[in-house]
Amino acid sequence: MADALVKSDFLGKEDRAEPKPFVLYRPTAKTGLISWLTTVDHKRIGFLYGAFALFFFLVGGVEALLIRIQLFSPNNSFLTAQQYNEMFTMHATTMIFLAIMPLSAAFFNFIMPLQVGARDVAFPRLNAFSLWVFVAGAIIVNLGWFLPDGAPNGGWFGYTPLTTKAFIPGHSIDLWVMGLQLLGVASIAASLNFIVTIINLRAPGMTMMRLPVFTWMTLVTAFLIVLAFPAITIALVELMMDRLFGTNFFEVSNGGMPILWTHLFWVFGHPEVYILILPGMGIISEILPCFSRKPLFGYPIVVFSGAAIGFLGFGVWSHHMFTTGMGTMATAAFSLTTMAIAVPTGVKIFNWIGTLWGGHLQMRTPMMFALGFIWLFMIGGFSGVMHAAAPADAQQHNSYFVVAHFHYVLIGGSLFALLAGIHYWFPLIFGRKVSETWGKLSFWLIFIGFNVTFFPMHFIGLNGMPRRTFTYDPNMGWTAGNRVATVGAFILGIGVAVYFAVMIYTRYKGEKISRDPWDARTLEWSLPIPVPEYNYRVLPTIHARDEFWYDKHHRAEIEQEQAAHLKEEHAHGGIHMPFQSIYPFTAGIGMLIGGIGVGAVDASPASVLIGPKLAVTLIGGLIAIVSIFLWALEGNEGYHLHPDEDGAEPGHGAQPSSGHPH
Amino acid sequence: MSTAAAGVIDHHHDPSTSTGIPNKKLVMWMFLASDCMFFGCLISTHLIYRLHPPAGAPNARQVFSIELTSFSTFILLMSSLMMALAVNAIQKGNLKSLRASLLTTIFFGCIFLGCQVYEFSHFVSEKHMTITNSILGTTFFTLTGTHGLHVLIGVIWLTAMLIYSYTGRLSEKDSIDVEMMGLYWHFVDIVWIVIFTAVYLLEYIS
Amino acid sequence: MSTAAAAASSHADHGLEESKFQIYVQIAMLLAVITGMEIVTVYLPFAAWLLVTALVVMSAVKFLFVIFYFMHLRWDKPFCTILFFIGLILGGGTMFGLLKLFGAAASVPILNQ
Repeated sequence: MADALVKSDFLGKEDRAEPKPFVLYRPTAKTGLISWLTTVDHKRIGFLYGAFALFFFLVGGVEALLIRIQLFSPNNSFLTAQQYNEMFTMHATTMIFLAIMPLSAAFFNFIMPLQVGARDVAFPRLNAFSLWVFVAGAIIVNLGWFLPDGAPNGGWFGYTPLTTKAFIPGHSIDLWVMGLQLLGVASIAASLNFIVTIINLRAPGMTMMRLPVFTWMTLVTAFLIVLAFPAITIALVELMMDRLFGTNFFEVSNGGMPILWTHLFWVFGHPEVYILILPGMGIISEILPCFSRKPLFGYPIVVFSGAAIGFLGFGVWSHHMFTTGMGTMATAAFSLTTMAIAVPTGVKIFNWIGTLWGGHLQMRTPMMFALGFIWLFMIGGFSGVMHAAAPADAQQHNSYFVVAHFHYVLIGGSLFALLAGIHYWFPLIFGRKVSETWGKLSFWLIFIGFNVTFFPMHFIGLNGMPRRTFTYDPNMGWTAGNRVATVGAFILGIGVAVYFAVMIYTRYKGEKISRDPWDARTLEWSLPIPVPEYNYRVLPTIHARDEFWYDKHHRAEIEQEQAAHLKEEHAHGGIHMPFQSIYPFTAGIGMLIGGIGVGAVDASPASVLIGPKLAVTLIGGLIAIVSIFLWALEGNEGYHLHPDEDGAEPGHGAQPSSGHPH
Repeated sequence: MSTAAAGVIDHHHDPSTSTGIPNKKLVMWMFLASDCMFFGCLISTHLIYRLHPPAGAPNARQVFSIELTSFSTFILLMSSLMMALAVNAIQKGNLKSLRASLLTTIFFGCIFLGCQVYEFSHFVSEKHMTITNSILGTTFFTLTGTHGLHVLIGVIWLTAMLIYSYTGRLSEKDSIDVEMMGLYWHFVDIVWIVIFTAVYLLEYIS
Repeated sequence: MSTAAAAASSHADHGLEESKFQIYVQIAMLLAVITGMEIVTVYLPFAAWLLVTALVVMSAVKFLFVIFYFMHLRWDKPFCTILFFIGLILGGGTMFGLLKLFGAAASVPILNQ
């Protein structure tokens, strides 16, 4: 510990930094707008991710309902073809990048540091930067709704040559490209942070094999993000260069090959779907043990399978391309690897069932969503394995069978798990417990609505209905299925509305709880609610997996340990907290402006030296670069807190409360 | 547990982390792993387009100048040496040596960039290969240009560090920051090692 | 740790530091020599596969020297090496997969046939 102090940057006793030039002044507001814009607290950042994610989830939901209205009747004219293209593009892009991923990030941020026994992530300002760049990306991707060229309309997968300038000359695609690039930067920065936090900031005694499964899945997901996003970054750079500078990456007349885009996209895209599901699997692995009143069955195997899924996920990308004529060898190879990846997935399901088996099941709302997850994700897995067989996929590809498959794994899987997680951790984050009756009602509406919407799609898909087409003929036999699906979509919408209403009501008026409402097993539940800014008054020492469960059954031992550690930490100057900073936010603003410059501003006629496009881009870039420099110059000092015994803080760095030697 | 000699900083071990690896070192290695995928995909694009060049494509052997590229490769390798010496210097608290090494690294980096700029303009004006008029031009300029951009970012970072070293605020305890920057610079060098072989040398084998 | 032992160990460190300087310079010379060898190799009158293999091996040797010595992996915790190699192997594997896919007969552009 002494060495840590020698190396620590937190040597100041003041709660304000020493006087410096005004640009290096550290914000200290704890309430109000500035406190949110300058926050580096992982809990606040997690909350913001969650709030934005839930907002965009509603946006994506509306886009879905508009699609379903259009498809209610054959040859419908509710949406034009162009509008329909925008809807399915934006529904997918929004749900994947602006809803599911940031909702997962909300949990990574709030819960993971608590589960490893840390006081924050390794790089708090980088964490804030990720958030604001995510917001910038979200804005850019949606900017087209308000501009004459319209919202992105080339599909969420952006296949060339449709998305080249020759076929979609307007800015809709440029905004899609720039938005995704920023979202990629945000994701990679956040994931680097999470990896270092999990590897390096664990509390003493927290070996890797004692980590909660949610934290393990956070780690694997972070690795996937960091290693998969570069592929789409390159693909997007190549597309952008074709669109902006007339390069030939996908220009057939000059030797380009559009299929290259498809490969690079799916090199990213397949790991992306594991990025979408693994956090959910982690959440389920926490909820099932808690509500079965027994530990997770086969912890090492569950962890290993998660890592295996992540790794193998890089070797299956061309199963999205079975019908592109890759040749027999390639098609067979990818078919095999795709079937292989079903194995660790299945292993996890058996382990979850093993967790339930013989348990004393408590059918609370989070448990209902978790059980729904197991069943629905399995169905999605079955249709997935059907796709793995390339000859079968030749029939299923581009049909509604695919739509059914991925909605089962993404809604039945990811979304159900995230909704379960919201219910489960709601008391920890907001100090209130959701009513069981209303929670269960929202569950049943969502469950029924979801199945009514997507189960028929298996059938209309196998009966030939293609994806991404805005009308269909009345004599194809698809009308009944579509009608049922649309009705189901509205039931699902009502279920989501109830879910949201319940959450908002509970936030302000729900039953208050103080500590550990579920009698849970993992460390985050050992904290007082609301969680103090510094998380742990005394950093815990870990003795076992499910450390909190161990604590509850070895109270005397833990109390002694904590008292001893508290003395040590006081002797070393108290709790070290990082200062807030405005620069992550301003760097995000810079990137927003730069992204708008590249994506939305028209290029100028050649006679002007610096036209509006270059000017806006350069200004944005300059703001971002200056922000980063000032971020580096302001240093990573912090201040000290000395909470007294019942957790109350007698003011930052203020006079010590009685009885504590400093 | 006290360190015996006062002020001896262990640059290989950070006791405040679970693994002993400093956070900044860990994050940089992870970032470099990510950058491997980044350049891997870009180099793949170039090599894929070299598999079946279209008719009428420029002949790479006639466009490239192996002498110039060999020279710039050598320069970049030497800049890596100077960077390693710079990190060595700051770990011993030798600011003077650090500044000299950093300056030399920057100098070599700038020479490399200068060679790239010359090469690019030469290809465009004399060899008539532009980024838009052929697939070889597209992939070549994008790949080497992206690498050049990485070098430029490195040079800017090095320059900022050099300037900062004159403010009196840089000392041995900041070695990790210089080391982190060094890792980035070396990575840019090893990417060039791959590019030199895959983009240039392979073209000369019939 | 007594001061005598500490003095001895820091002296050993000092020795290691000196030799590190020399190691770096020697490796830089080696890298320059290998680069020269690479340039000569392309003009040798051998089969293409042999020359390509030789080039790949020489580049790999340079690559490994830089990462293990200049980038310090040899003296750092093995975990850093593992992390980097994960990215390297994945990147290399993806490149291999893509080249195999595009090299297949089915993928030759129609315009070229």
